Amino acid sequence: MSFEQYVVETLKTVVFPGFVFIFFLSLFYEWFDRKFYARLQNRVGPLYTGFYGLLQPLADFIKLLSKEDIVPKKVDQLLFTMTPLFTLALSIFATLLLPISSNQGVVSFNGDVIVSILILTFICITVFYAGLSTYNRYAVIGAERLFLQMIGYEIPLTLSVVGVALNAQSLLLSDIVLSQERWWYILGPQALGFIVFVFAAQAELERIPFDLPEAEQEIIAGWNIDYSGRRLAMFRLARNIELVFLCGLAATFFLGGPLGPTIEGYTPILYTLYFVIKSLFVLAVLTVVRALFARLRIDQVESFCWKYLLPLALFQFVLVRLIL
Amino acid sequence: MSTFDVPIGPMHPALPEPLLLKLELEGETVVGVDFDVSYMHRGIEKLLETKTYFQGLPLVERICGICNAAHGLCYTLNVEKLYDKEIPPRAQYLRLVVEELSRIHSHLLWLGIAAFEIGFNTMFMYTWRDREAVMDMLEAITGNRVTTEYSQIGGVRRDIPPNLADKLLKTMDIVEERTKYYVKVALTERTIAKRTQGVGYLSPEEAKATCAVGPVLRASGVKNDIRADDPYAAHSDVPFNVITYDTCDVFARIVVRAQELFECVNMIRTALKNLPEGPYRVKLPMKPNAGEALTRVEAPRGELFHYTLSEGALKPYRYKVRTPTLANLGALRAMLTSKGRYVVNIGDVPISYGSIDPCICCTARVHFVDLKKGKSWVWTIDELRERSKRGRLLP
Amino acid sequence: MSMIGELIRSLFKKRATVLYPEERGKVHLPEGFRGKLEYYEDKCIGCSLCFQVCPSFAIEMVPEDKSRFPKNQTGRRPIFNIARCTYCGQCEDICPTKAIHLTNQFEVIALDKRDLMVK
Repeated sequence: MSFEQYVVETLKTVVFPGFVFIFFLSLFYEWFDRKFYARLQNRVGPLYTGFYGLLQPLADFIKLLSKEDIVPKKVDQLLFTMTPLFTLALSIFATLLLPISSNQGVVSFNGDVIVSILILTFICITVFYAGLSTYNRYAVIGAERLFLQMIGYEIPLTLSVVGVALNAQSLLLSDIVLSQERWWYILGPQALGFIVFVFAAQAELERIPFDLPEAEQEIIAGWNIDYSGRRLAMFRLARNIELVFLCGLAATFFLGGPLGPTIEGYTPILYTLYFVIKSLFVLAVLTVVRALFARLRIDQVESFCWKYLLPLALFQFVLVRLIL
Repeated sequence: MSTFDVPIGPMHPALPEPLLLKLELEGETVVGVDFDVSYMHRGIEKLLETKTYFQGLPLVERICGICNAAHGLCYTLNVEKLYDKEIPPRAQYLRLVVEELSRIHSHLLWLGIAAFEIGFNTMFMYTWRDREAVMDMLEAITGNRVTTEYSQIGGVRRDIPPNLADKLLKTMDIVEERTKYYVKVALTERTIAKRTQGVGYLSPEEAKATCAVGPVLRASGVKNDIRADDPYAAHSDVPFNVITYDTCDVFARIVVRAQELFECVNMIRTALKNLPEGPYRVKLPMKPNAGEALTRVEAPRGELFHYTLSEGALKPYRYKVRTPTLANLGALRAMLTSKGRYVVNIGDVPISYGSIDPCICCTARVHFVDLKKGKSWVWTIDELRERSKRGRLLP
Repeated sequence: MSMIGELIRSLFKKRATVLYPEERGKVHLPEGFRGKLEYYEDKCIGCSLCFQVCPSFAIEMVPEDKSRFPKNQTGRRPIFNIARCTYCGQCEDICPTKAIHLTNQFEVIALDKRDLMVK
């Protein structure tokens, strides 16, 4: 690798479409989520910091960073310190897989579809340990719920992705993107897969109706009850980045990723624009789902996942097989 | 399987007021429950003894912010029993209007709280938005949004002029339309049904045995409403139906309260149509006759109970309030420990608790804390009886 | 799913709230709102009824120079401590000469306690 290539690759990883871009994108997505949710409920949402409250997530992040670092006496010190870092690192790494400015992510290798799903599981496990490490009763209940929930949504999520991969005949994200050049998968039988993916993503992100691990009215803040200050900031940032990742993944699998009509010379910028628009559409769907339902109980989450999501995912899978 | 205790409260996002629910959990299943309501003692009954009857009214209204109209009404009805004077019928009708208005506001507020307890934030926001129409009307009629202080000893404080009555009728149309929508949502939304049907089961026998009151009792299929059984303001002249529902769960409580909203709207319409002419207030002397009086009022949360003992002086000798939430706490325990019928998940606790429409600050009992010994205890009724026989309460 | 129509409709509705400090003018108060009270000393007859009904002891009777206000016969007049006031309006109701009036001013903030006295 020549020096120039080296610099370009580094810039890609660190600045665009890597860490810095993802950081600001995730804050923007949080703002969009909050604002859209508020508008759906006839409220105003963030308003005062920046243009229409655009800087509010950043302000929240900085505020949390500057707060006192409280470590309860009886927590497991190692896990308590490491889990926020791990969660953040995993979610940042996951976004490097996303094809944003071209049809390829910053990191691209054969089988990255599987890795992207795997990372979601890893994040779930780290969060589980984050809850468990505090030995708080609410946190333990939250962590236990997190795992129970994961057992429910993980399989439908994977199956919905398998349908796409099968159609594209590849386990490479860039191949999946390229195979949608003429026809987005959401317009075919994978529409069912999209529905499954949206609900599974909702569960992965712990949003209503699946926000049981941190159900405010039941177990206060669930697994993150003892986290404060910069640890909480890291968790929140990781959640936001995961939000970007899951919206981007849905856009990649079902909405043709960053592909769209381009002008010579402006391809990366236009691709990024298309990616953002498409994933914002997914985010809007996620937000509407969040506004539409009441929180389910843990047994109801399980039965919803196994009775509705899994058969739907399987049905989609069979449909794809039949068409091929 | 070993159990572990999880405290809910006294500070908890689902509880607006201090109450400690000590839950004994087996995994996520509630196997035992114990509670403590003595986190707030405001000494209102004692304070009332230091105030004249007219000064006491604003204080009584502050026992509970949400059912303040019922408290004020109960107080005035109670004190008026000590005078031998007829209260003008127009005042009684106006009292009914404001009481039913505040019932609408309380029930809409509860609907939002119930939605919030099951994580349905959108419905929470919408109901509270629509409740503002009722609050504006209360403000226009009485001069204040929350502490209305409308009912006054001897009548009401202000009249409702015809133009305000027209405005009120228009608001009632809005409320009726919105209530229809919420009933539709509550009946058709699958997640609401899932979270409320079969949850917080309270059988009619248990409801009677635990002395439940108000919508909780009516949702268990027992026809009991003070407005019908023991009419006070103008309730004997204004017809209405006592709503009951027979599924005995949280869902039934939602339905009962929502249907009651329609009844309230109709009652206000009838009352405004048949508003009798005449004065809305008679002047009563500051000192009532000696004697005792006892009044029951159907507050939005259930049966409200005021008692006063007068010596014929400016101030009451003793004033006693029993709020509906205290009566319903026994029912809450029955809901949370209804073994066999269904399993209570910890996720069902907030909505079961919310379904009695709790207002803990009105209920606090005496709780003794000895800082030196580091002990705290509560006296039972037998102990209190024993001590009163001996003639002294404190050791 | 039954709320989807309402959700989409409220997306295009105006917000339900008032941005309070900025849009102060939009705060709608009805007639007869019980806000900070006003006292007209020329109407007062010094009967001290308001002092008797005040539940929060916000009213105090002080001696008054009789020659200044001919209506005042007792030589006493009330002063009001807004910091203690509960805005119940009983004084306004009972006043025989309408010397007390509750305005629709609801922003009663002061840096000094003495500014909260109505004399």
